[in-house]
Amino acid sequence: MEAVKNGDLQQASVLFDRYQLRIYNFLARTTMDRALAEDLTQNVFLRIIKYRNSYREGNRFQSWIYQVARNVFSDHYQANKNRKSDFISVEKMSDTMSDREEENEQEERERVLHRSLAMLNDEQRELLVLTRFQHLKYEEVADMMETTVANIKVKVHRAIAKLREHYFELERN
Amino acid sequence: MNKEKWEGTLIEYIDGKLDADTRSKVEQELAANEEIRRTYEQLREVISAMDGSKSLDPGANLKNTFNKFLEAEVARQKPLRTISFVPTLYRLAAGVALVMAGIGIGNWINKNQQREDEMLALKKEVQATKQMMLVMMDNQQSASQRIQGVNVALKIEKADDDVVRALVKVMNDDPSSNVRLAALDALSKFRDEPLVRKELIRSLALQKDPVVQIALIQLMVRMKEKGAAKSLEEIINDTESMKAVKDEAYSGLLKLS
Repeated sequence: MEAVKNGDLQQASVLFDRYQLRIYNFLARTTMDRALAEDLTQNVFLRIIKYRNSYREGNRFQSWIYQVARNVFSDHYQANKNRKSDFISVEKMSDTMSDREEENEQEERERVLHRSLAMLNDEQRELLVLTRFQHLKYEEVADMMETTVANIKVKVHRAIAKLREHYFELERN
Repeated sequence: MNKEKWEGTLIEYIDGKLDADTRSKVEQELAANEEIRRTYEQLREVISAMDGSKSLDPGANLKNTFNKFLEAEVARQKPLRTISFVPTLYRLAAGVALVMAGIGIGNWINKNQQREDEMLALKKEVQATKQMMLVMMDNQQSASQRIQGVNVALKIEKADDDVVRALVKVMNDDPSSNVRLAALDALSKFRDEPLVRKELIRSLALQKDPVVQIALIQLMVRMKEKGAAKSLEEIINDTESMKAVKDEAYSGLLKLS
């Protein structure tokens, strides 16, 4: 990133290759909308290039890019004010998330998982995406959200417990 | 341990983060307590579902769009960064310099002719601006057009007699006091011209609009125009003058005397 900041823009291509999948997955799972996630991922990288001068050298690039992604996500929903905490329609989601292939047991499990993720509140879903899907360390997430590791840990535990409730509720039906 | 605490401990147990002591306590509880065991199994299932979840693939479009943007950004940045030391660029620069020199010589030959042309064009432009301004000031339908015309007059460096006469006419006769005030403002810019001074003094005797009267009196004081004394006395003695105008005239008279 420091090379990009110092004007070597071609290096941005390396960053893109290294992080696009992670950022796309983060956004796809947080927004629960793959097409939207593509647009937002694009915005994240455009922002990184445009605002490359705001990157402070020595900071972890990964934390910074996730921070930019979180801002892009929150800007998007602020711009579309109609947002409510239950903005993800579970019915619509199956269309936007699954590849509509023949479902086997693993896929069925995944579908239930995503439906229960959609039923969490935004903060809980984001925490699980960051720590369980993206495997970020609690320390890093705590840093990003400007809170303590202990606080993040408790919140993640609560989110998993809540996810368990929704998951088995859906599975029963 | 309450329910939430148990859930936290079980999650840590699944993640393999407990010390040996706590781990064996959890295992004892799991063997003895069916409720805890059920919670554990369910937690393990969701955690393994998350762990086993497939990574989602973005379309190829993402990379293509990004590359296009990057190319554009690199192109935009180049002229700033790299007036680089590549020989081909030197050659290009030399070529450009040669062309510029050619143009320079050509220009030098044409210089006199061109200057005359430029002066003529400038004169035409000034004339056109003046015409436009006069037409605007004369627009009886729209006060805002007239104000705009007056504002054009504010921007010109030196007013000729035509412009001064037009402004004076507006200042004395325009139906809107805003337009009259704007004209007064424009005229005050040219107050060092003898014709303008004369017209301003004359206007003091003619004005009936208190706002314009007060502005005019203040202007006379700024101009230190002693010739206005007679008109000021008339205003003070005029029974129809407003009190505020009379006060202003009186104070102006004191300052000028």
